[in-house]
Amino acid sequence: MAPQISVEDLSKHYQVHEKDPGLAGSLRAFFARKYKTVKAVDRVTFNIDSGERVGFLGPNGAGKTTTLKVLSGLLYPTSGATRVMGFTPHKREAAYLRRFTLVMGQKQQLLWDLPAIETFLINQAIYEISKADFEATLKELDQLLELGPLLRKQVRKLSLGERMKCELAAALLHRPQVLFLDEPTIGLDVTMQVRIRDFVAEYNARYGATVILTSHYMADVTALCSRLIVIDKGRLLYDGDFKALIERMAPYKIIKLQLPHPLPEGRLAAFGEVQSSEGLNAVLRIPRARATETAARILSEIEVDDVTFEDPPVEDIIRDVFAGGLIPTEKTP
Amino acid sequence: MRYLRLMGLFLKSSLLVELEYRVNFLAQGFLGVLYAGVSIASILLFFSQSNRLGGWTLDEALIIVGLFTIFDGLMECIVLPNIKRLVENIRNGAFDFTLLKPINSQFLSTLRYARLHGLTDMAVGAVVIITAVGRIGYRPNLADLFGFGLTFGMACLIIYSIQLAMATTAFWFVKVDNFTEAFRAVYDTARFPVSAFRGGLRIALTFVAPIAFMTTVPAQAVLGRLDAGLVLGSLGFGLGLFAASAALWRYAIRSYSSASS
Repeated sequence: MAPQISVEDLSKHYQVHEKDPGLAGSLRAFFARKYKTVKAVDRVTFNIDSGERVGFLGPNGAGKTTTLKVLSGLLYPTSGATRVMGFTPHKREAAYLRRFTLVMGQKQQLLWDLPAIETFLINQAIYEISKADFEATLKELDQLLELGPLLRKQVRKLSLGERMKCELAAALLHRPQVLFLDEPTIGLDVTMQVRIRDFVAEYNARYGATVILTSHYMADVTALCSRLIVIDKGRLLYDGDFKALIERMAPYKIIKLQLPHPLPEGRLAAFGEVQSSEGLNAVLRIPRARATETAARILSEIEVDDVTFEDPPVEDIIRDVFAGGLIPTEKTP
Repeated sequence: MRYLRLMGLFLKSSLLVELEYRVNFLAQGFLGVLYAGVSIASILLFFSQSNRLGGWTLDEALIIVGLFTIFDGLMECIVLPNIKRLVENIRNGAFDFTLLKPINSQFLSTLRYARLHGLTDMAVGAVVIITAVGRIGYRPNLADLFGFGLTFGMACLIIYSIQLAMATTAFWFVKVDNFTEAFRAVYDTARFPVSAFRGGLRIALTFVAPIAFMTTVPAQAVLGRLDAGLVLGSLGFGLGLFAASAALWRYAIRSYSSASS
């Protein structure tokens, strides 16, 4: 079966005008604009199957949003082919527009001066959702998101988190099969981030909808997505399993020791690379393959109060990927 | 049919917004009446010095003032609020949501919002026209009324199309407030019969900016002075400008999606 979303050799370039600082620069730019081509997306290829949850990771300006906009038909690709559910997105056929949704954490579609329910009713009419379907969907979304009284409050009086819940509901009333979520948790506090995350996971499990999520909060991606696509400066750096990335980029484990009395660093170095050793606390980096064996040796050879094993922080790993510790791209079949 | 139902819904939601801000609603309505009063006063002032304006008597000229006021109200009601939102949405990127909806984007961008205080202008305009026609003593027959309906509809289309085309340039220039101001300045000439202007100006107001087809021609229709040429001209300008502005819109959308990031 063809994948639900296929992106082949996609590039999106656009022109921006540049201006030198100051008034003189502005004047020059007013009369003769200098243009520069920006490669927002540069020859990116990937496939996504129905029901997958994929995380797009990359620093600001990496091309995440541009890719999502091409997939939603808002932008024409400069070159390359994209197909979503058998449609060519940039043709923006009504049949396609009815089957996906795009949520942008930084932009809102809710009517500012009215309660969210008014926007919902307008979306109901635009998407031609029958009354029965509309009520059923709204009831389910209400359960999952606990919208309750929020629906009747003017949008401008809602908190950022409450507004995001309503935005999500407004974007899901037509029961899209594909969800493009662009920074849906931006600016939210940790509790609300977790709520939104749980909701997306639940929605995906319940309806089998495909989710592509961009975020620069690592936790969003690690909690939600088993598959990761890392892009930077428009290029695809990694596409594949989240665990596999960690094993490849970080072929070591961190062992933290709590000692009953201080030990000389030389004694610890016998087990592995010492990352830090301060008084009674020591941190060692041990190659993954020898981690268990080394731990056994530590326990038998020296006296310890406590031992913990950890994977290196995901942030560090991703930073290594961006810093050019590039691993060959794992193609999905 | 679906589009009509949607328009009903849009109107309802706009009404709800207006009612949220009661004081503003009343103040704007009052201002509308005030502006209409100024238009009428300026014509009365002119006729206190003279009894003809470009061949039109006071009562005939008042029909034009009435039409001018009605269109003013229509612009306040529908055209301007939508254009304002459109330009704002293009600038802050919320226009993306319009493009994502499975519905004609021009319809959704130009008829989505309504400000109801313009209704007071329309009511004042209608009263002025009915009073003036009554004072003239001419009873428009069925054909006159039909001609009036047609030329009035075309006048609406002309105003809509010109403003749409101006707003569409926002896709390239982003800030276009000046354009709507410029249209406003030209439109102000529509409060006088086009025959009051001489030479090149009159030609410009007929063929370059078809002001004549907005107020003068429908006023002639109600007075039974319509001829085939005027009907054709009105149809030509109305449908032609609409087609051209819709084509410009489609072109702008295409370049929006290929140019932005």
